[in-house]
Amino acid sequence: MGTLNLEGVSFRYPGRGEAVLDRVTLAIPAGGIFGLLGPNGAGKTTLISILAGQLRGASGSISAGDEPLGTLRRRRPHSLGLVPQEYAFYPMLTCAENLRFFGAVQGLAGVRLKERVEAAAAFARVESVLRRRAGRLSGGLKRRLNLAIGLLLEPEILLLDEPTVGVDPQSRAFLLESIRSLAGAGRTIVYTSHYMEEVEAICDRVAIIDNGRVLVSGALSDVIRDGSGLQELFMQLTHRSLRD
Amino acid sequence: MRPLLALWEKEWIALSRDVLGLAVLFLMPAAFIVVMSLALSDAFKGGAARQTGFAVMAADPKLADRLAQSLSGDGFRAAPAPADEAAARDGVRRGTPSLVLVVPRDFERALGSPLDGKSTPPKLALLADPALPPMQLLAFQQRVLGEVLSLRAAAMMRRAGIAANSDAFDLKRAAALSVETIGGTGRPSSVQQNVPAWLIFGMFFVVMPISSLFIVERREGTLARLVSQQVPFSLLLLGKVGPYFVVNLAQAVLMLLAGRTLVPWFGGETLVLPGRWDLLAAVTACTSFAAIGWGLLVAVCSRTLEQATVIGGVGNILAAAVGGIMVPRFVMPEAMQKLSEISPMAWALDGFHAVILRQGGAADIAAPCVKLLGLAAILLAAALWVHARRRVLTSAQ
Repeated sequence: MGTLNLEGVSFRYPGRGEAVLDRVTLAIPAGGIFGLLGPNGAGKTTLISILAGQLRGASGSISAGDEPLGTLRRRRPHSLGLVPQEYAFYPMLTCAENLRFFGAVQGLAGVRLKERVEAAAAFARVESVLRRRAGRLSGGLKRRLNLAIGLLLEPEILLLDEPTVGVDPQSRAFLLESIRSLAGAGRTIVYTSHYMEEVEAICDRVAIIDNGRVLVSGALSDVIRDGSGLQELFMQLTHRSLRD
Repeated sequence: MRPLLALWEKEWIALSRDVLGLAVLFLMPAAFIVVMSLALSDAFKGGAARQTGFAVMAADPKLADRLAQSLSGDGFRAAPAPADEAAARDGVRRGTPSLVLVVPRDFERALGSPLDGKSTPPKLALLADPALPPMQLLAFQQRVLGEVLSLRAAAMMRRAGIAANSDAFDLKRAAALSVETIGGTGRPSSVQQNVPAWLIFGMFFVVMPISSLFIVERREGTLARLVSQQVPFSLLLLGKVGPYFVVNLAQAVLMLLAGRTLVPWFGGETLVLPGRWDLLAAVTACTSFAAIGWGLLVAVCSRTLEQATVIGGVGNILAAAVGGIMVPRFVMPEAMQKLSEISPMAWALDGFHAVILRQGGAADIAAPCVKLLGLAAILLAAALWVHARRRVLTSAQ
């Protein structure tokens, strides 16, 4: 799969005057971790939702290599995986039932389903809690289960929307290590976070967006060439005023 | 097919772990069936079930006894005559007895005089308890007038010198009148009305679990995740139909069982089941599809659990009130009966009555079933249309 190219992508929520995304142009190379940064309301989650096919009606074009992303999604529905910001699983189901359901609803069955459930559970280290109700897990375990569900179909492009929010340092370190290993296996990962040190630690390339516009984009080493660090650059570009 | 089975299994597990929500779907209609069947049992028996006390006040004690005897029966029970009219009024005001017939002096003699246009008919007074149902009062009035007519006929015969046995003028012995209910289980009873009525009400309450789980799915991002996994929205909706259809069928079986066992156990009548189980299953299935369609539309349209509870709950209660679930349609005024024709619960009730009460055939349930299936199709199409018009599936705004 080639570079994920976004050309002049704009989006406006129904009934709202301002565009949430305003002519966003980005190139996300295959096989690396791309950090998407921005303050609250910058448009990160909206952009992730458009890439995931959850939001319709965006203008501009998005392609993976030479192929429009929509066509790729129709042709190979499981080429793109999403780990949303919310715990997008069923709290009343056990971890195993959640994994089995999300695998089966995407067409996995029999031995293949069993294998993928075991592999995803092992990768996210949730094997020991497979029989527990998902709603009763700790925050860190919930995040890991969320990641495991996103990996069931082994997507080539993985969208991670703030996957470490609300977890303890141990779980965060584990999640970051896991994400790095996923990228090492040749996946393209789009990663949004508010934690600059995380992004500096794992991302190859970054883009900072605010008010729906790309403020800076490129290789991490190029973006913070002056040595001031990502946090300082972020504050310079997005200003220090509080956001609603 | 595999994704659909996965969706059904998920819905089952989620539903089975919401014990309280599931219990409400079964206990609520069962409780209504028992309580309402017992509460309305007298209303369906007419006056016969209710013993209304009455007294006759007459100067001639023999006439008073005779009238009290002939007016007794069929729900009317003679009580001792009050000492005077003031005591009678006081007693009636308290409902003991509910009726007092005041016969004037020389009443019997006046009955014998011909009505030639110049003389006025003899006057009787009936003191009535205001709490007495109007139909009871009317029935007693008819009994009194019938009795007076027979007394008058006897008096005129005597005056004409024709000897006649007093039994000849007894209305109860005038002719044997039998009542035959055509094509039914006999007369409609409270349990025959209330079991299908509250079963339908309970079936439509699947709107609550359907919409609440759907809104949780949307709020938690699960729905958006499924859509991002290219699971068609129509399949997601279809994934809810199977499990709730089974729930509705289970409700039907258990509520019919409640009519057969629970209601008689509490002292009510036993539900008479129809001979055509296939027709009963057809009406149940059509009602279920309409109820699930309603649940899906409420789920898609509501943004919060509170909205779903208000729209679904109030909608159901209104449809039940208008559709003859809470109050039988035959006691409604004509305008309300016309209005009830727009309620899907009334269509379902027509179907159930055609099978359970009238022992009808396929032709008798065709119209209600077509209406219910048509409504189910419209509601499902509306849910898909509302979804298609929405570009936003996630909470990311």
